Amino acid sequence: MSNQPDFPHGLVGEEGAIQPGRYYGRGIPYLPINGYPGKLIAIEGTDGVGRSTQIQLLREWLEVKGYGVVETGWTRSPLMQPTIELAKSSNTLNKLTFVLLYATDFADRLEKEIIPALKAGFVVLTDRYIFTALARAGVRGVDRAWLRALYGFGIAPHLVFYLKIDVETLIGRVLDSRGMDFWESGMDLKHGDDIYDSFRAYQNKLLREYSSMADEFHFRVVDARRSVVHIQDELRRQVGAFLEP
Amino acid sequence: MTFSLLHATDFADRLLYKIIPPLKAGMIVLADRYAYTAFTRDVTRGVDRQWVRELYSFAVKPDLTLYFRVPIDVSVDRLLARRVKLKFYEAGMDLGWSTNPVESFRLFQGKVLEEYDRIVDEYALNVVDAIGSITQQQRVVRDLVAKHVEAVDTMREIPSEQSA
Repeated sequence: MSNQPDFPHGLVGEEGAIQPGRYYGRGIPYLPINGYPGKLIAIEGTDGVGRSTQIQLLREWLEVKGYGVVETGWTRSPLMQPTIELAKSSNTLNKLTFVLLYATDFADRLEKEIIPALKAGFVVLTDRYIFTALARAGVRGVDRAWLRALYGFGIAPHLVFYLKIDVETLIGRVLDSRGMDFWESGMDLKHGDDIYDSFRAYQNKLLREYSSMADEFHFRVVDARRSVVHIQDELRRQVGAFLEP
Repeated sequence: MTFSLLHATDFADRLLYKIIPPLKAGMIVLADRYAYTAFTRDVTRGVDRQWVRELYSFAVKPDLTLYFRVPIDVSVDRLLARRVKLKFYEAGMDLGWSTNPVESFRLFQGKVLEEYDRIVDEYALNVVDAIGSITQQQRVVRDLVAKHVEAVDTMREIPSEQSA
């Protein structure tokens, strides 16, 4: 409750170190996950940075090499996707319910998709992970310690690739493809009516949040300004070195 | 987990729209169940005790909390006397402990009551013996609330006298 000031069981576990394939914090008591053969690989990065293209290519490459691959992505749970879309289309969402809806979606996919796949020995490629939630909520002023305690039920990925881009390059790419959208531009933060200015300010803040998490969560930073092929080569090299040392 | 988080989302929504504004306006808010329900029900469903407490740390701590305590037998008798069918989740049928709804309810709510006993001291809940008649219970409730509201009233008068 509000009179409890500290969160002793945040994302950095009791031992103070993140262990890949284990829960970050308190975990889910009824789902022990120790010793599962699967691998969890997260591809992070802001909107329009090219995550889905890279994941598609990485998947093909892994499958040709004989790995079983499962993909999962933010807000894709059958339980929550319609609810999240509905809530976003109304004006009643606040920063807390926003965070909790995303967390529910993640919990559903974790229990129903990610954990079973890891148990069965799949390589799980996740398009965005909890870092997106931490970044978006962080920008909106949600308490960081609380967020980390909330996501204590998340599993630390074996690899986290952060596709890093600068805001100028990002603006060019987004305008070149599908244009700027309300939420990706952080229009809910009411920086102003101009979607271009809002997008720039919001994405700048998001990029700062991601960068601030790089050390904490062992991001492998990948320069996403380069060509698709260059980025894919680097991902394959690092994933290959991890899976087949 | 999703059960717990969906309820937390609903709670956050009601907290920000229905609870905090009237509190700011100086009104009395009566909440039928509060975060304590989650602390007992979600933990019985296997969620981590500490995690659910941290999850609800955004909640406002109530000025007064009344816990109406009944033994499980009384609870079952009362429900069966009025309703034919127990609700699926209320009976904890999702946990698969028993295919018989009444038996499942007894097992599940029995565990929930154990969790309540655990938090009575932790959160200083005022226990109201709910075996007695409605009139008897209401008398206890009015005494507890009256003491509290009067104490608040006195506190409120002081600054207005000073400013006058």
